[in-house]
Amino acid sequence: MTISTTALSIIVVIATLVATLTPILLIALFIRDWKKGRLW
Amino acid sequence: MTGLDDPILPTSIAWGLLAAFSVLWVVLGWWLGRRNKTAEDHMLAGRNVGLALATATAMATWVTANTTMTAPQLALQLGVWGMLGYSLGALGLILFAPLARRIRELMPRGFTSGDFIRLRFGTFTWRVFLVVSLIYAFGWLVSMAMAGGVLINALAGIDYRVGMTVILTVCVIYTLLGGLRAVIGTDFIQTIIIIAGAAFIAWLTIDKVGFEAIHFNLMEERPELLSLLFPAAIMFLFNNLLFGVGEIFHSNVWWSRAFAFGRNVGFRAYLFGGLLWLSIPIVAGFIALATPALGINVPAADMVGPLVAAEVLGLTGAIVVFIVVFAALASSLDSLLAATSDLVTRDIYRGHIRPRASEQHQFRATKVIVVLLGLLTWLAASYRGEIPIVGSLAELLYFTGAFVASAIWPIVAGLYWKQANPQGAAWSMILGSGIGLASYFLIGFYVAALVGAAVSLAVMVLATWLAPRPFDWDRLAREDTHAMGSPA
Repeated sequence: MTISTTALSIIVVIATLVATLTPILLIALFIRDWKKGRLW
Repeated sequence: MTGLDDPILPTSIAWGLLAAFSVLWVVLGWWLGRRNKTAEDHMLAGRNVGLALATATAMATWVTANTTMTAPQLALQLGVWGMLGYSLGALGLILFAPLARRIRELMPRGFTSGDFIRLRFGTFTWRVFLVVSLIYAFGWLVSMAMAGGVLINALAGIDYRVGMTVILTVCVIYTLLGGLRAVIGTDFIQTIIIIAGAAFIAWLTIDKVGFEAIHFNLMEERPELLSLLFPAAIMFLFNNLLFGVGEIFHSNVWWSRAFAFGRNVGFRAYLFGGLLWLSIPIVAGFIALATPALGINVPAADMVGPLVAAEVLGLTGAIVVFIVVFAALASSLDSLLAATSDLVTRDIYRGHIRPRASEQHQFRATKVIVVLLGLLTWLAASYRGEIPIVGSLAELLYFTGAFVASAIWPIVAGLYWKQANPQGAAWSMILGSGIGLASYFLIGFYVAALVGAAVSLAVMVLATWLAPRPFDWDRLAREDTHAMGSPA
């Protein structure tokens, strides 16, 4: 039983999308915390 | 070590990158730590770390050199399950989320995991825990320093001992200057670098090679890597899961963050960090599956990631990999140095040597201890292979598996089980580690963590069932608030 091309591509594309969006999300959270004075 | 004849990055460029990032981390560490006035500032960054920095530091610390280099290796050796199994390491972070909230609620003024064990289970169990925890922490520190030397050598041809010395020295300096604040601040930038770099390489691999070609070539040359019924890979999945949970539950690296994160931040930070971390081993591991399609000959499995990056991107790929690896190494080494020095300062120096040490004494002691830890780590990593048990990264990690796994149940029982027996907690760690180690030598490396956890669970449950010892949870907060600067 092997994984299909479609299933492999779905898993990898979702993971890569999450990884691509993570830095953006972290920077957005950083700016929000900074504006509210909640960084530290 | 890697078997590569030619490094993928010119040595001169590697030295330039090492110098630039070393200066950046040290200056940032000094700047972030310039307002640290007390041991509490230095060890716990003021106890009010916000969600952005908290999430990033949880992710960065859990992304080690293993994640960036071993995930591709595992994908190459174990296929799809290799990268998916590695990503389940995220469960350790996710499962620690409720524990972090509980720890913060029970001990709002706590400092270390040792503080909790001492107050919850008493002196004997505390000492057993310190032995287990410090053996593991030191093993991890040495393994990270070794990884630094090996990877810098493999990527850029810089001598193992020189590369290891540079990365260890840089981490010691900025941890010394800025404490946990420096560690968390640099972790934020390191997380962005690591994840953006890994995603960049993955997108280019998808674009230049494509899933059809990757799948077709794997089916032709290595069809087992696409198999969903690969027994060795499925065993690895469970082993990695258990090891990851044990590492996070007991280690002061994660406890010190639970104490340092602001109120109501710890749960969300560990949960978000874990969920976001899930993708990293898949992204880093996937590129290894492109080797048959790219026609790359892989002389050493642990170098497959850099080789694919260099093939797809040329010099740019080699530079991105070098920066990502340096960031991953630094983000784990600094956390370990800070958390282990806190544990030694609070639980060994103050707990056993100078019980009446003032806050200023402890502030100074923690800095001296960071330097001493750095020196000890350097000595052990310098003589790798010459110390019988410090043979390779994998051997060292599997060796510590028994210790790590034997601490899972005493921690969980201590936090949630009112009747948990203190002596049972100590003996579950002693017998779990002992029998786990015996199984490491008598059966094989792959069972040490499993046996350690099973024995530990059995002893903990049996001891509490035979002799329950009710505990007043409020004692933790009551005694803990008077802990600093007073006798243990």
